[in-house]
Amino acid sequence: MLVAHPECGKVGAMSGPDFGAPAPGSQPPSATSAPQGAEPSAGSLPAYPAAAPSDPRTAQQALALRDLTKTFGDKVAVDHVNLDVPAGSFFGLVGPNGAGKTTTLSMVSGLLVPTAGRIFVDGVDVWADPAAAKARMGVLPEGLRLFERLSGAELLSYLGRLRGLPADVVNQRATSLLDVLDLSDAGDKLVADYSTGMRKKITLAAALLHSPPLLLLDEPLEAVDPVSARTIRTVLTQYRQAGGTVIFSSHVMALVEELCTHVAVMAAGRIVAAGELATVRGSAASLDDAFFHLVGGQERHTEGLSWLQSR
Amino acid sequence: MAAVPLTESAAAGQVRPAPLSLFAGLKWHLLVSRWRAANGASRAGMIVLLVVVALVLAAAVLGLCLLRRIPDVAPLAISGVFATLLVAWVLGPMIAFGVDETVDPQRFALLPLRTSNLQRGLLVSSLVGYLPIANAVVLVGAAIGMSSNWAVLPLALLCSALQLMTCVVFSRAASTAMASLMSSRRGRDLGMLIGFAVLALYLVLNVVLNSGSGLAGGAAKVAQVLSWTPPGSLASLPYLVTTGQWARVVVAAVIAVAFLAVGWWWWRRALVTSLTRGTSETEGSAPSRGLLNADAVGGSLSGTTRLVAGRVLTLMWRDPMRRMPWLLSLLMAIVWPLLVFRFSGAVYGCALGALLFGTQAGGMYAWEGSGLWLHMVAFGDRTRARAEVLGNLLVVTLPAVLLLMLSVGVVAAIRDDWANVPGALGLCLGLLFGAAGAAAVASAYLPYAMPQSRKSMFVSSVPGQKGRTARATIGTMLGGVVLALPTVVLVILAIAVSPVFGWAALAVAVVSAPIVLVLSSRIAAAKYLNSAPEILQLVSAGDRV
Repeated sequence: MLVAHPECGKVGAMSGPDFGAPAPGSQPPSATSAPQGAEPSAGSLPAYPAAAPSDPRTAQQALALRDLTKTFGDKVAVDHVNLDVPAGSFFGLVGPNGAGKTTTLSMVSGLLVPTAGRIFVDGVDVWADPAAAKARMGVLPEGLRLFERLSGAELLSYLGRLRGLPADVVNQRATSLLDVLDLSDAGDKLVADYSTGMRKKITLAAALLHSPPLLLLDEPLEAVDPVSARTIRTVLTQYRQAGGTVIFSSHVMALVEELCTHVAVMAAGRIVAAGELATVRGSAASLDDAFFHLVGGQERHTEGLSWLQSR
Repeated sequence: MAAVPLTESAAAGQVRPAPLSLFAGLKWHLLVSRWRAANGASRAGMIVLLVVVALVLAAAVLGLCLLRRIPDVAPLAISGVFATLLVAWVLGPMIAFGVDETVDPQRFALLPLRTSNLQRGLLVSSLVGYLPIANAVVLVGAAIGMSSNWAVLPLALLCSALQLMTCVVFSRAASTAMASLMSSRRGRDLGMLIGFAVLALYLVLNVVLNSGSGLAGGAAKVAQVLSWTPPGSLASLPYLVTTGQWARVVVAAVIAVAFLAVGWWWWRRALVTSLTRGTSETEGSAPSRGLLNADAVGGSLSGTTRLVAGRVLTLMWRDPMRRMPWLLSLLMAIVWPLLVFRFSGAVYGCALGALLFGTQAGGMYAWEGSGLWLHMVAFGDRTRARAEVLGNLLVVTLPAVLLLMLSVGVVAAIRDDWANVPGALGLCLGLLFGAAGAAAVASAYLPYAMPQSRKSMFVSSVPGQKGRTARATIGTMLGGVVLALPTVVLVILAIAVSPVFGWAALAVAVVSAPIVLVLSSRIAAAKYLNSAPEILQLVSAGDRV
């Protein structure tokens, strides 16, 4: 069951032991920045033990994680992670396979219950006031199905109206999203018959539909063709320029280096470095090199493969 | 390992034909590994099943052997058996595609094999397995039944062997030709439709054959026609030889052999096509016509209910796995009472259909597999959660009420059973809403995964969750009966004491229906809000099956 961590309010102490670099945006919360809609809404989770559903001290951050932990049996998948994602940043979450990126993003998006710790989106605790927190997020998870037998247009129409948007607003937004993401021709096709790139694009459209301040994207460009990837990047860049915050996980360092303003490196469930891109990269030639050393990678010897030849 | 000779021959730069024993060995390994992977309980289950199958086979063989005492009937009866076997072999892979890994020639596409080599190898591997062995046993029985004179037994055995070959060749040819179709969503939908059609045909035939006159005459006529077909030719050859009808012997032999040759050729062509042309997964989506209730907006209870109901109804119509149970329930509501009850009170038989209709509300969080996340990220409030359950329940119960009124009316008209109609309607409504309410609660408290590949209409659970699925199903049925107890008691009184109680049963059912809807949606929604991540974890297992 969920346990609220007693240390959850310590926003000022940003550069904890988990941080290789000081996290950005660690200025103390100002009283003037009124967290929009941080008041609790009806329907909070009854199982959550008497936690305050919001924390104004984290309201300046698009996302704040406090001692977030997830264990599966004996295995610790996410280990007391503290992280602040400044509003308006393009935040890359990188790490080797099994580092805990997807687990972290799943807990943030409300798909996986944390073992301990708290998550604040815009100052609202995701697990204490899920209704308010979910309205502030758009999510693109990795490897999950959609309502396969709806068409792309139907899916957007349904999800938009489910979130309470009027039908004409939803239709107008869906049309422009399908148009920008080059899905207009496929709008009437069932999602079951979409390619990987098309699925990512329609999920992104669903995530953007209600114009949330925060986008959580798990491997948004994995297995996507270059044309679709370019479209997705353009849309994300524009979204950020309009004031949105993007958090995305990826294996592709070049992409992170090109797109991101901030980056956090995860390894074995912990944040080993976090901060502005240049800070994390430090003196390394590229983010790739920095990443390799941060996660403790070792060059493999390949002499044993000398037999590998075509003749 | 079994694949070594193949890679060695490839490394040597030449294609030596792979020995047929390799294919037989491959299939044998698959069978044995299934046994090895099973734990104690399922091994015991497999043994019990094998014993039961052996007993059934022994009975079948005995029956076929006895046919040799009546040489006039034997060819006709065995023609029917042979034709049925052939149809079963051809339709089997379409109804349950993917049971046998060696059915899919695409798995061999990357190996350096010539088509003729592959075809012979696949034939051999097709003959290894429980099903071919069971068939061979039955066919030996048929051979004995065909030989009224022991001298023709060798010929009869040859005919049986050819019959098995014909079955295997046509089954493989059809499934290979269908392979690309079956790997697409629309093809699998078609397969489910065929599976249902066979089931429906069986039920309807049952009613027709049970309804009285002319059964023997009709069956004889059908068998007469069948004896000119390829399986019929094989079945009647020994009889024709015994009676010295040599002209017909030649015709029958030509028909049988030519048919087998055509099958072999068709299979070869299908193999070449499937190995040289890739399948297209993204083809063939019919344009959608839009959601129902396209103006409903979420937020309020009624708005979200209408919105969710529109989606569920649309998906139900588009998804064969959801459409088929409806048709099945309707058959159970109309055909079953007519089949079983031949007296006054037949209308009460519709209650079984009502119970089945109600169970359609089960597993409401599992139908879309991990697609549940779309709801989880979109809302977390009590109102929408309740509305979601309510929308699902209304989509199941409202059409079911109309269909049950129809079926009670039809059965009452055919059996002239109008006096029992109020009680029967009450019982049906009580069980329908009881089962639907129990199903909704079970959806949240005992969620289980549903296979998302929609490969077979007969697969309803995923490995590792069979017990959970069974508990949820049985719980739903029992819960439905318990919730319907007031009406059940009144219906018993109506039958035993006075028909007036039938009206009371109807009144009680009508009053309790909305109460059940409201309470069950509240209970299910509360549980969903508390444990949506756990439910997602469980139902996501369906994605891989």
